[in-house]
Amino acid sequence: MKEALLQAFSLAGVLWLSISVIGYIIALWVNKKCKGHPLAHPIVVTALIVSVGLYLTNTGVTEYQQAASLLHWLLGPITVALALPIYRQWQKLKHYGWRLMVSIAFGGILAPVTAWLTLFVLDAPKAIQITMLAKSITTPLAMESSAQIGGIPALAAVFVIVTGVVGAIVGTGMFAALNVHNRQAQGIAMGTVAHAIGTAKAIQMGEDVAAMATLGLCVNGIFTALALPVIFGFFV
Amino acid sequence: MRDVRNMIVGAVLVFAAYYLGLVVVNVSALPIPGPLMGLFFLLAMLFLFPQLEVHTARFVTFPLKHMALLFIPAVLGVSIYWADIQANALAIAIAIVVTTSISLGLTAWFSQQLFNSKSDTEPKAPGKNGEPK
Repeated sequence: MKEALLQAFSLAGVLWLSISVIGYIIALWVNKKCKGHPLAHPIVVTALIVSVGLYLTNTGVTEYQQAASLLHWLLGPITVALALPIYRQWQKLKHYGWRLMVSIAFGGILAPVTAWLTLFVLDAPKAIQITMLAKSITTPLAMESSAQIGGIPALAAVFVIVTGVVGAIVGTGMFAALNVHNRQAQGIAMGTVAHAIGTAKAIQMGEDVAAMATLGLCVNGIFTALALPVIFGFFV
Repeated sequence: MRDVRNMIVGAVLVFAAYYLGLVVVNVSALPIPGPLMGLFFLLAMLFLFPQLEVHTARFVTFPLKHMALLFIPAVLGVSIYWADIQANALAIAIAIVVTTSISLGLTAWFSQQLFNSKSDTEPKAPGKNGEPK
């Protein structure tokens, strides 16, 4: 933490942290202009803006990462902060009972296993295979748990975000194709498979869909993040 | 003034849980990430002392909402692995696009089957969620 703070108050630190924050504020504005389209997710736009900044100033990514290490360090505490939404969802969880849990477990296992299987069959490197297992959970948890099991956190972040964007885009189409009209079911799938970005989309689909998506996001996130290191710790 | 105090209490709670998580995982050599352990500590604290929810919320609501900003350094770091991604682009694309779509559809379908099977005991009273807004 000391390192991150020292960096934050260096010249490069102040410069790149400001660029990141300003980029993010612009990204929020762009997202609003695009009516929250998943492709215009703030993280996508901010990453583009900062990349352009790096390119124009001829700055290396590692240099940027060092200058903005405060942001990266904050991922730890923000992971802890996820306890609040989980706590708030707990009551609802009891209300919906085992059907909800089984649905989330179904999606929470299906999504990473099919993705991993694809990479396994197509013979991708092991580190990428392992990283893919964390693709359906919220970014901070995905980065932490992929690091724990020998994956690549940076790759995990990108896989997670692309998964979320894809899920948010194809969601309604898939539901129509498979004749899923139950709004609770749609919400659970969005939150479980496409985490926070899917949940953002679910918010546009309606309050009831969003509530279920948040549940899926919280429960799947916490169980996957717990299960991956434990399974790898004991069996692999 | 009270808000500020609540926020400070919230901050202390979050960081205490965070460092406690790191220490416990380090000492016990448990195979889970320290911050996840910290999350469990904070969750336990909220269950034991529900009145602390206000303080925690005061501190975490804003950063949680703008969490995306914190991923930027990590996301850009992916360029370091560009060669690996390119070499496996097709596999990764299929793994993400195709399986995410299928999983999303199947999960919703499966869940719909489950929820429909209980339609006999549906307790939903009409007006229950109908508060004026």
